[in-house]
Amino acid sequence: MFGNFVKVVVDIKKGIMAVDADMHVDLEKLMLENGSEQKDLWGINLYPEFFGTENFIEYDSMINIRPWQNNRSRGVEDENIRKKIVEVVEKLVKNV
Amino acid sequence: MNFQHKNLLESGRWFEMNIFEQLANIGVEVGRAINWKNKGNQEYSRLAFERSLELLYFTIEDKKNRDKLGELCRLKEVLGDYFMGENQYKSSAENLNKYFYPFNYAARVISNNELLKSVKSAQKEYQENLVIKANSISDLLER
Repeated sequence: MFGNFVKVVVDIKKGIMAVDADMHVDLEKLMLENGSEQKDLWGINLYPEFFGTENFIEYDSMINIRPWQNNRSRGVEDENIRKKIVEVVEKLVKNV
Repeated sequence: MNFQHKNLLESGRWFEMNIFEQLANIGVEVGRAINWKNKGNQEYSRLAFERSLELLYFTIEDKKNRDKLGELCRLKEVLGDYFMGENQYKSSAENLNKYFYPFNYAARVISNNELLKSVKSAQKEYQENLVIKANSISDLLER
């Protein structure tokens, strides 16, 4: 836990995620070392107390700033990518 | 993917560079981003910052840098924090520039050493050719 939330990096292609570190980049490194590709990795935060509500997932990470993928902010601007992230999270987080 | 440095990626040129040259080039863009930020031109600063991130992305992709992922990923976090975040790591223009300067120096030293090596190799080849020619002349004279 990082305060009241957990940092997570999701691989939307492989449908897996790395959970809980001080920085998203540490999770990104772990994923890259295990065969993920940068372009598929997105950083989010999960707020356990809001499980089951729209506030459960927060799209905010330095690793998301990728203008060459049309993402110029720390958020996730493409709705389709957000949907894929939600699918992975819903598949892997059953309850908290 | 919509890369600004598309040619650099497709030609493979970026991956031919050693890590010092790669980080020195990233440092150039970071330096530009800092200069424009100091001059109050946020747009130009953002564009240079984005170019630095793109080069860092290529560097992380580079298979020969696998053992440096920790450093490279952390660098991405620090740059993002300074240019687009709350600067929680208390970075400054001065300490960011200081981080990159040694890579410039190392890249120059290596390229100078490589130049010196190729000059020495050319000199050796030239001298060997002279000896061969001299031998041929002395062979001729002896006949």
